[in-house]
Amino acid sequence: MKEILIKTTDLSKSFPTGEGEFWALKNIDLEIAQGEFCGVVGPSGSGKTTLLNIIGSLDVPSRGAVSVLGRDITNLDAKGSARLRAECIGFIFQTYNLLPVYSVFENVEFPLLLLKMRPEERKQAVMEALKWVGLLDKLNSRPAQLSGGQCQRVAIARAMVKKPSIVLADEPTANLDTDNSLHILETMQTINRELGTTFVFSTHDDKVIRFLQRIIRLEDGRITQDVTQVSI
Amino acid sequence: MEGSHKMLLKLAYKNIRGNGWRSLINMIILAIVLTGMIWMQSMYRSWINLAEKQIIDWEVVKGHYQHKNYEPYDLYSWEKSLAPIPETMKEAIAANKAVPILLSPATIYPQGRSTPVLVKGIEPTQSTMKIPAIELKSANGNSHPGTAGTFLPAMIGTSMARSSRLKEGDVLSLRLRNIHGAFDAADIIITHIMKSPVPSLDVGTVWMDIAHLQELKDAPGFASLIVIGEEELGRKQFSEFKYMSPKDLLADFARIKETESSQQVIMFVILIFLAMIAIFDTQVLAVFKRRKEIGTLIALGMTKKEIISLFTLEGVLYSLFAIVLTAILGFPLFYYYAVVGFAMPEGFEGFEMAGLSEPIKFYYDPMVVIGCILLLVGFTALFSWIPVSRIARLKATDALRGKLK
Repeated sequence: MKEILIKTTDLSKSFPTGEGEFWALKNIDLEIAQGEFCGVVGPSGSGKTTLLNIIGSLDVPSRGAVSVLGRDITNLDAKGSARLRAECIGFIFQTYNLLPVYSVFENVEFPLLLLKMRPEERKQAVMEALKWVGLLDKLNSRPAQLSGGQCQRVAIARAMVKKPSIVLADEPTANLDTDNSLHILETMQTINRELGTTFVFSTHDDKVIRFLQRIIRLEDGRITQDVTQVSI
Repeated sequence: MEGSHKMLLKLAYKNIRGNGWRSLINMIILAIVLTGMIWMQSMYRSWINLAEKQIIDWEVVKGHYQHKNYEPYDLYSWEKSLAPIPETMKEAIAANKAVPILLSPATIYPQGRSTPVLVKGIEPTQSTMKIPAIELKSANGNSHPGTAGTFLPAMIGTSMARSSRLKEGDVLSLRLRNIHGAFDAADIIITHIMKSPVPSLDVGTVWMDIAHLQELKDAPGFASLIVIGEEELGRKQFSEFKYMSPKDLLADFARIKETESSQQVIMFVILIFLAMIAIFDTQVLAVFKRRKEIGTLIALGMTKKEIISLFTLEGVLYSLFAIVLTAILGFPLFYYYAVVGFAMPEGFEGFEMAGLSEPIKFYYDPMVVIGCILLLVGFTALFSWIPVSRIARLKATDALRGKLK
């Protein structure tokens, strides 16, 4: 029995609108175990990103409870949630979100600076992460000098460099062509297999969906389907 | 905590370096402002020091005994401000430790024009004051009043020479009232045009030998003021004379200093304001342009407090780099004004203030330099923090989407 890393209970999230409230998530009950390679899929506006944001402690639920790595994050203070993100969660974004003035090396090194790791350990970890994504030859390049695929690989290396328990990937292939998307997904799948990192995607890209072991379908803020790939 | 500061410093430095030209422009603006602040303050202080020294050397020395009726700003009091020199001061005067001065309102007639002046009689051999009274011992004059065909030697300052269009060798009539109320007159010859840095010794003033003036006033052994060259001499009590310490005599100058200080503050505020507009603008732009970066930093695990510190530190680093830039770029300027000095334009002589007649050589008081630096760094930190503090209100999810509420 694998350890449950993420658990949501009756999770709901609403946003104020001109006419009242919009419920982006409605009564979500979900468990994700360690080492899963799963994705929250659904059309735009179905609540995928909101769910990932809450799991990543970037947002708070309006109702219900969320536990990540055994910690109730529903009422976590700002410092506590920052520490959780710094130590245990890696983020991959659709638009890469690399820091433009930093080199590839510095971008990947950044999360380790927050962990106050020693320089020699940092260097070793960064080189290892860049080796996973095949960008050792781009150490000193700036994001502006890289292609979209390379930028996303840097983002993966940045998310993985601290060897987090969970990686949350929000539409990671939305801006990439097919070849780059497949390369990225293979890289993440290898990391998942070799390091046992739990990956949670938010996507509506068929290419990604094909790689997922588990698909959690979200429609209008509700889970309408939760299946493993073999059962599809 | 120490590690966190080190990390923020490293990140702030990287961001500044990464911002390229924008960073350099900010640093240059701050460096110009810092140079301006140090330059202004040093010029002001150097001028104050120079002017004070000149007033003391040329006029105040260690204080004055003034006749009890004497009011510097009441010309009607001058006529009545004279009394016999006290016996106990005569020894000091003979030893050149004090110098008596006799005052008398008078009228001179340069090119036939009637010009009211204040005649000051001084002992030509005195060395208590820096006035070149020895020039009154010129061979061109040195005669007794009333002797036909001869002229009494007199000395005026450059300002007086300019306003009355007099030059060395000019002969003119002088008319004054003696102590009995009768008018007397003599011909005087300008034997020297003195370049006095203290306008009160120059403007509207004619200097002559005290013995000649006493004779004209029919007041032998009389004086209006006794300028003392040693502090100990200021402890005496006389019925006809009151002691005025250097502090009393410099009271007007102290008031000028206060006025100038407030003007300096206004200039300081303007300079700081200009620099802070640049910093504020940069920081507002940074928060707006880098909101997605802010969201990323939050997602990567930085606290909002750390992000605010990071952005504020970036602003502070601009000022620290500006200090280095000031030291490099400002050094030739500072050196030039320390060695060559700052000469006031011609027209400034009309301001009738001490310290403007010769180049002001700058002295850079370490406290002034440190004060200017601290002020700049402090204001930069404040004006960096104000726009950046709104990050605290920013939601991470909005920032990640590039939204700024």
